[in-house]
Amino acid sequence: MSTISTVAAPVSSAPLGRSLWGDAWVRMKRDKIAMASLGVVIFYFLLAISVKLGLVAHNWGETVGKEYQPPSLENWKLFFGTDIFGRSVVMKTIYGAYISMTVGVVASLIAIPIGVSLGAIAGYFGGWVDDIITWFYTTISNIPGILLLLSMALVLGKGLWSINIALGVTYWIGTCRLIRGEFMKHKERDYVQAARSLGAGHTRRIFIHILPNVFHIIIINFSFLFVAAIKTEVILSYLGLGVQGVPSWGTMIDESKLELARGVWWQLTSASIAMLIVVLALNIVGDALRDCLDPKLK
Amino acid sequence: MAKYSPNDGLVVVNNLVKRFPIKGGILGREVASVKAISDVSFTIKKGETLGLVGESGCGKSTLGRCILRLIEPTSGEVYFGGQNVLGLNSDELRRIRRKMQIIFQDPYASLNPRMTVGSIISEPIKIHNLAQGPEVTKRVEKLLDLCGLRREAINRYPHEFSGGQRQRICIARALAVEPEFIVCDEPVSALDVSIQAQIINLLQDLQQELKLTYLFIAHDLKVVEHISNRVAVMYLGKIAEMASGDDLYRDPKHPYTKALFSAIPSANPRGKKQRILLQGDVPSPINVPSGCTFHPRCPMVRDNCKADIPALDAKAPDHLAACHYSHLVAKELGSGGTHRGSEAVVSTN
Amino acid sequence: MSTPVLEVKNLRTAFRVEGGQLIAVDDVSFSVMPGQTIGIVGESGCGKSVTSLSIMGLIPNPPGKIIGGEILYKGKNLVNLPAPEMRKIRGNEISMIFQEPMTSLNPVFTIGNQIMETIILHQKLSKADAKLKAIEMLRLVGIPAPERRVDDYPHQLSGGMRQRVMIAMALSCNPSVLIADEPTTALDVTIQAQILELIKGLREKLNMAVVLITHDLGVVAETCNYVVVMYAGKVVEQGTAEDIFFRPSHPYTRGLLNSIPAERADGDERKKGRLETIPGLVPNLLNLPKGCRFMERCKRAQPETCSKAEPALDLVGAGHKAACFFPYKEERTPGATESRAEGAAKNRAEA
Repeated sequence: MSTISTVAAPVSSAPLGRSLWGDAWVRMKRDKIAMASLGVVIFYFLLAISVKLGLVAHNWGETVGKEYQPPSLENWKLFFGTDIFGRSVVMKTIYGAYISMTVGVVASLIAIPIGVSLGAIAGYFGGWVDDIITWFYTTISNIPGILLLLSMALVLGKGLWSINIALGVTYWIGTCRLIRGEFMKHKERDYVQAARSLGAGHTRRIFIHILPNVFHIIIINFSFLFVAAIKTEVILSYLGLGVQGVPSWGTMIDESKLELARGVWWQLTSASIAMLIVVLALNIVGDALRDCLDPKLK
Repeated sequence: MAKYSPNDGLVVVNNLVKRFPIKGGILGREVASVKAISDVSFTIKKGETLGLVGESGCGKSTLGRCILRLIEPTSGEVYFGGQNVLGLNSDELRRIRRKMQIIFQDPYASLNPRMTVGSIISEPIKIHNLAQGPEVTKRVEKLLDLCGLRREAINRYPHEFSGGQRQRICIARALAVEPEFIVCDEPVSALDVSIQAQIINLLQDLQQELKLTYLFIAHDLKVVEHISNRVAVMYLGKIAEMASGDDLYRDPKHPYTKALFSAIPSANPRGKKQRILLQGDVPSPINVPSGCTFHPRCPMVRDNCKADIPALDAKAPDHLAACHYSHLVAKELGSGGTHRGSEAVVSTN
Repeated sequence: MSTPVLEVKNLRTAFRVEGGQLIAVDDVSFSVMPGQTIGIVGESGCGKSVTSLSIMGLIPNPPGKIIGGEILYKGKNLVNLPAPEMRKIRGNEISMIFQEPMTSLNPVFTIGNQIMETIILHQKLSKADAKLKAIEMLRLVGIPAPERRVDDYPHQLSGGMRQRVMIAMALSCNPSVLIADEPTTALDVTIQAQILELIKGLREKLNMAVVLITHDLGVVAETCNYVVVMYAGKVVEQGTAEDIFFRPSHPYTRGLLNSIPAERADGDERKKGRLETIPGLVPNLLNLPKGCRFMERCKRAQPETCSKAEPALDLVGAGHKAACFFPYKEERTPGATESRAEGAAKNRAEA
């Protein structure tokens, strides 16, 4: 028999059980520009998937006109003219989108699990484990990024997969640092100490308690990693170390070196605009995610 | 100070010491240390509430966490129900953790914002396998009822609740493992006054209903006095005085206690009191003064206080104080706790 | 009867939030005489801090805005005053100190520099003169060896010292009004006692009006002449300290006073009883009930009257107002319980 009085209903006017994710989504929806950017990014993804499925631009190699035909509106394939072999620049650009999206996703999928795991272990356990991991990534990060990438690409050989691996294996460091800091911070927080006092072991504390609270950082990190991967692939392909035998924005920009001397500007423009749009959109989405997902900014 | 035997109470602490090293220099040697707790001993009997009071840097929060081994003590002994807590391995520790729980100060930080209230409260039940399946939900509902929360809270998230309600959730969570002893680490300091009263009542009701033992840590003397049977006043890692609330108030035997009581603003505009203002700041536990640690601020300091460390002795039955001149406190600093209250006021205009 | 140095008339401040417009301060009025200390008391969400920020013109816009009323400082209305003119008043004529001395001071400047900044800005003194004035201010607030400490950085000082520095900064231009927003909440109780004594002493020395915002009724009782009690954005009671503590009319005020663990008189057997509480929670300002905002938690509420309209702030005594349809009329002895009254009677008999 209890004399304890029941307290009135919770204060929030929000619908029942709206989690912090739900909250973030509602706030994101209100940002029109962010939603538009998200739409652009999704569009690029759909394009990439269509290419993979063979729905479009799989025939990028076919000749659609004379060499160096300027842009014209007669045929969508000629919207950005043709290159030295008379191939459609538009189709090459779309194929380039597939390459860039793939690189972004795969490189991130390699880098993030490595970065998160090592960062979590270092931040959570501290001590000599932390010392070793920190020493490790500090050493690697002392090597200038481009040189590291170049050397990996040379070792692994040219081609798409070697780029993916090279990127993944160098970009995990940023994630690792971030996650390490977050784990160090959260480890001492009261809710984790409470779990500890309730008898929760390390595994439970890491995966059930801290990781979900750090997940939003991972997502934001993912969006910026994506952008970095795209830009780096372009540079590597420009340098001739990237994809071979298929077009990518980097190779298109590389080819345009010679073309510009002849007054042919459309391949460069097409690749640059395509890249500009998706990078801009990803940056806007990344910033918006950071604003919406940070529980403190409520 | 004679040590206590392991069965002198539900919780027995002997000569507890906790130092946090500060490393510096190229080789990372210890250059200084934070002496958070220096030689603290006390007991808490079953069903009792021991209040622990003090200002920042006195070590009270650290003490609570050391008893639970959330922080590992540097040296000393801690017994719970006769068992040596500091000697347990991790499995035994997990089992004994069921019996001792903690409620934290900040109701906003002590709940995982990504878990529903239902998962938060049921987690300990699952960890210790206290129930399965639908029985778990039943227990959670019962705990919510016990703590004055509506059952629909199960599917809601912590951020949808106010501070007082979150504290209730924390209490429900602590009770889920059916503990015997709860360390309340400033549980009401972050709450509004009217909500404080609700939570204090709740804690008292629960203590009666579930036969709980509390270590109640706070900086608000009024609140501590109200809920505790005995009160220990801490200063810079040591216990300065320990006695029942009544004795402490009526006849404080340590100048710090007296100063603490007189510093509390009284909710009585007519009760102008003779206030003892301590000089200077609360010193840092890194540079602990020699002799009696209180001597730089003590209003009745004598020469030997700078060199001799006073022992925590019984100056009256069940009334311990660590002061060389406790017999002079009443004479030099005025008698009684404070002169607040009704007509028995000493007006100093 | 002198004129008030600060008059707040029917102030209304609102915030645009997800879910609508939140009126944080709803029709608040009070006046402050020179040399007087007025306390604004209430719990979280009652609007006391927003009131003080409104006076200082520090409400972030968006999302906040003063939507009604006047704030008269020496007769001049501060609401909608152009920014350059408001800047001349802030720090110079009306100063403010905040709750957290750790974060209110800039960690990369010495405390001397920070005090000098205000002085140079408003009084146009030379750097050398400003430094002398800063040292004088540090001495005034009781910081030992001020000539040396003036070159210290905030992290070298303790919490209590930092709060003194904040007070020194606020007083450096000899303002007529000092607004103190929970100045001692973050401090230890013995340091709090020092700071309160300091504020009291300075008020007398400088004949300055103080607006003290706090949730601690003890602090109010010790330092304030006049008290304004706020609840959910509205003033529920206002009067002299005597009125509020000995003749509280509004059920909320009474409930608040009674929820403090009982004060003991000398020679009193401690009664380990339950505290009197105010059940329930503060209402959601976006979803206010119709009628009196306190009705749901009130012991004296009569739904037929209390749910129909909001009670107006009416006189219940000389200079004492309360917003309640059924105000208390009985007196209240601080911490009164039966045993205390008996104990007091015993004392009187033995005296």
